[in-house]
Amino acid sequence: MRKFAVVLMVLLFVAVVWGKQTVVVNSYMSDPAPKQVFAELVQIFEERYPDYDIVVNTFAHEDFKTLLRTWLNSPNAPDVVTWFAGERMRYFASKGLLAPIDDIFDGGFDAYFPKAFFSSCSYDGKVYFLPQSWYWWGVYYRKSIFEKYGIKPPTTWKQFLDVCETLKKNGIIPITIGTKYLWTAAGWFDYLNMRVNGIEFHTKLTAGEIPYTDPRVKKVFEYWKQLVDRGYFLENHTAYSWQEAATFLFRGEAAMYLMGQFIKDVAPEDVKNDLDFFRFPIIDGTVGLYEDTPIDGFMIPARAKNKEGAKVFLKFIASEFAQEYFAKKLGRLAANKNVAPPDPHAEKGLQMILDSDGVMQFYDRDTNPEMATVGMNGFVQFMVTPGMLDQILENLEKERVRIFK
Amino acid sequence: MKSKTWVPYAFLALPLTMYAIWVIFPIFQTFVLSFTNWDGVSPKFDLIGFENYKRLFSDPYFKLSLNNNVKWLLAFVFGNIPLGLGIALLLDQKFKGDRIYKTLVFLPMTLSFVVIGQIWSWMLEPRYGAINSFFRAIGLSTFAKPWLSDPKIVTYALIAAASWRQIAYAMVLFLAGLKNVPRELVEAAYVDGANKWERFWYVILPMLRPATIIAVTVNVIDSLRAFDIVYVLTRGGPFYSSSVLANYMYIQSFHNYNMGYGASIAVIQFLITFGFILVYLLTALRREESTV
Repeated sequence: MRKFAVVLMVLLFVAVVWGKQTVVVNSYMSDPAPKQVFAELVQIFEERYPDYDIVVNTFAHEDFKTLLRTWLNSPNAPDVVTWFAGERMRYFASKGLLAPIDDIFDGGFDAYFPKAFFSSCSYDGKVYFLPQSWYWWGVYYRKSIFEKYGIKPPTTWKQFLDVCETLKKNGIIPITIGTKYLWTAAGWFDYLNMRVNGIEFHTKLTAGEIPYTDPRVKKVFEYWKQLVDRGYFLENHTAYSWQEAATFLFRGEAAMYLMGQFIKDVAPEDVKNDLDFFRFPIIDGTVGLYEDTPIDGFMIPARAKNKEGAKVFLKFIASEFAQEYFAKKLGRLAANKNVAPPDPHAEKGLQMILDSDGVMQFYDRDTNPEMATVGMNGFVQFMVTPGMLDQILENLEKERVRIFK
Repeated sequence: MKSKTWVPYAFLALPLTMYAIWVIFPIFQTFVLSFTNWDGVSPKFDLIGFENYKRLFSDPYFKLSLNNNVKWLLAFVFGNIPLGLGIALLLDQKFKGDRIYKTLVFLPMTLSFVVIGQIWSWMLEPRYGAINSFFRAIGLSTFAKPWLSDPKIVTYALIAAASWRQIAYAMVLFLAGLKNVPRELVEAAYVDGANKWERFWYVILPMLRPATIIAVTVNVIDSLRAFDIVYVLTRGGPFYSSSVLANYMYIQSFHNYNMGYGASIAVIQFLITFGFILVYLLTALRREESTV
């Protein structure tokens, strides 16, 4: 009996010392495709590192955004969270809620990722964000519909308007959009502003340095108004989420959608190959070509319990193998610079970005979170009641002054 | 006997302590927070006096939300309660299948607001939703409206969705109340020559006062704290046109990282609700006493 007790004690001791470490990952990858691929990656990691037990909690995208703040402040913070690079990450880093992860990169950040990513992933010289994948935005369209009406992807604003007109005449909704959660409208603002005023202006505006009542901002809305007034956007778009609006495109009732590459995640199999994209049309030939290229990835909360375990996991995620695995399965671009684009579609996307003159993240990742909510509400309001533009911009300006005081 | 007076307090001690910790204390915390500029993220914050409240009164979205709450309140009290009472009177008679009807009307009560919101979001969908399809099918396509995207009607669409459940609630309260109305009293009034309307107004309705007090109180509170339906169906959109105070508070606190400002909205909401209920209960109870 005594022997048994001793053996039991030893076993328990071994179990404690050699037992699995738990790493808790809270993830917003709730769409079926990325969720599946991420689960596969986790499984591979656990096979390679049997000492670690990764617990993944998945949350719906919109819920995740509101919950993150609570987690970061909680004494039971998760060890790893998914998030967005740029201002949205910096906001938390500046409050001391994130742990720096510089030490996971052998040979430095630049050995893994393009230099251009550093500023979006760091705060005050320290890296807080591990980029996993990135993607481009473009005007996604149905090839079959374009073929049917003999339409070629437009490159200029004039051509773009003509395309819309042709589609409308034929009873097709030219542009679908779902603005229930606001951010889709910000894509239009980003692109129009970058095409009309360029990236320097856009950067200053999102940094809160330019009044929203500036005549140059107004000009952006003049172009936008041309589309609204002619009824080129999906009707009642405020009633739809981005996925719900995408179904109009998938059913062939709408022809175009200004969206990120991840639209392919939710497209049905038979539509996937009928989806292609073109670069947002040029408005002013003297302005460079700028694009939105949001970077998605991971962070470690400052209050995480198992930071060392989290770093082992993130190191794996940063590896060429894991980055390629994720990018390949989802047709995205890996952040790791040694990974080639996974398919011709991604190659086309990468080429578009390489040919561009500069990139931004996205309105709600480039500007202050509060300004983003107010701004995007204003954009949607404009899309519904374009006549109220002056009032909307005055309100945005009032808020800008207060928020960036 | 006297030695036993402490017993009820001993039993109450635990629940009261919990109530104080989880309900009373956070209310005071909210009051304190409303005088700060806490963003909900930083460890530190400053006391800024009445800044948040000053900002509230020049905030168009706050006014809009408050205004919408008034619409909810009016609809709940003057729409749902009479409707619930009417249905209760109808179903309080003995007829074949009365239980089935009661169950059917009562059914929405068993659903949570989030589920109700989801169901109604399908029904109100502008293109393929059940309501618009129905109107188009019977040739009344002018009634097929973009319920959730037209700023002018969206609040009423949300109130309709919430009322679906709320009317059932009022009905249950009144059905229970009607069971307590003594038959003899109504029959006596009948013998005395009171017509249907007089019997209802002078005999049944006064007997229903306890049920009415509960119905009004519950509906006032529910209308002022409305949140779930709004959040699920529109999130207060398009551009805040269907926002209510609870929704606006949530967006400010958790989306915009303005905990302090959100707290000041919560305080206003608390004061309004508290004020309404206090005034109503005081008058209702006073009347109760005077009739006894």
